[in-house]
Amino acid sequence: MSGHHNPNSIQHLYEGDQSKLYSGVLQHHTDVNSEESKKQVGRIWKIFWFLLVITIVEVVMGMMFSHKMSRPVANFIFLALTLVKAGYIVAVFMHLGDEFKGFKVTVLIPLVLFIWFIIAFLADGGFWLRMNDESPARQHVTTSAPANSNEY
Amino acid sequence: MSQQATVVTTAPEPKLWAGGRSPYNVSYGKMMMWFFLLSDALTFGALLISYGTTRFFSTVWPDANQVFKSFPFMGERDLPLLFVSLMTFILIMSSVTMVLAVHAGHYGDKKNVAKWLLWTIIGGICFLSCQAWEWTHLHSEGGWWGSFLDVNTPVSQFAHFFNAHKTEHILATQPALAMQSTHLFFNYFFTITGFHGGHVTSGVIFNILILVNTVNGVYERRGHYEMVEKIGLYWHFVDLVWVFVFTCFYLL
Repeated sequence: MSGHHNPNSIQHLYEGDQSKLYSGVLQHHTDVNSEESKKQVGRIWKIFWFLLVITIVEVVMGMMFSHKMSRPVANFIFLALTLVKAGYIVAVFMHLGDEFKGFKVTVLIPLVLFIWFIIAFLADGGFWLRMNDESPARQHVTTSAPANSNEY
Repeated sequence: MSQQATVVTTAPEPKLWAGGRSPYNVSYGKMMMWFFLLSDALTFGALLISYGTTRFFSTVWPDANQVFKSFPFMGERDLPLLFVSLMTFILIMSSVTMVLAVHAGHYGDKKNVAKWLLWTIIGGICFLSCQAWEWTHLHSEGGWWGSFLDVNTPVSQFAHFFNAHKTEHILATQPALAMQSTHLFFNYFFTITGFHGGHVTSGVIFNILILVNTVNGVYERRGHYEMVEKIGLYWHFVDLVWVFVFTCFYLL
């Protein structure tokens, strides 16, 4: 192709033998029964049990305790456990932890936007909550209408 | 002498960021899969955050322990969160079988790639069947897109979605607020789990395609199983989204 000016074409690295492209766990190996292979499989199962235990803790908490706890504390615990689970799935199952540091940063930095999204939308939700609870128009509807009215 | 010979035979390394190299040692296809997943994460994030905002400004909201308390063949027994826990277990399990297929792919182990892909497909189909049951069940209780909009709906049709103890007062004095929340809840529930279910469905189809290719020896001839790795990324992402859907709809 005329578009390619680099004499050291590496096209084969992308579509051909990829073993030269990767290192570590992502590298191409040959012996599936090797010590290294078994270690990686063991790591995968360990993460599975870990994810399972976190999920069971979440479910038991959701079924039995979360209604007796203060809501913000329960929500904080649920969100923290969720982020731990997400972190292990991305780092081990999706192998992001085995990639180069620069690539990890490239993938993860855009997600920082979520911090802003959550702050912005909660602020918006808070405004509407106040409108719903305190607006004179709302007060009029909710206090003067008969109990079984479905106006809103 | 020997040192000189080495110098002559080694080609000059191209600069890291000057093109013609992969500075992160990632193939084009895999990097693009990551960027696609990033954009998909923002889409799912937008859906979940708008759900959270709506819920935050609603005075009352249906209680997950009341809405999701049924289990197939268990009739009216009160089993909150049990069925969705089973669905979560199935999806985490299928994520493990997928990563084992990817691992077998790193070793060029065709037989194991095919075996683990097959288990992943089975897990995906089990998950979709569970979701079909849950949707059917909620639909039989009156929930659907655009449901609970009729102002003449009797309170008894949606009162059971709420925590009776906490919402007693609102249900008695302002049932319209509770009905509006029920309407919004089901709109979000069916949209978000539907969008996720659509991802699982396409994931199952992709898995079937790469299973056929694996069995036919396409990747063996190509010399690598990177396609399994790329579809694996997609499948794990679908599991990842479920982790957040599970938290937002069933726990918080």
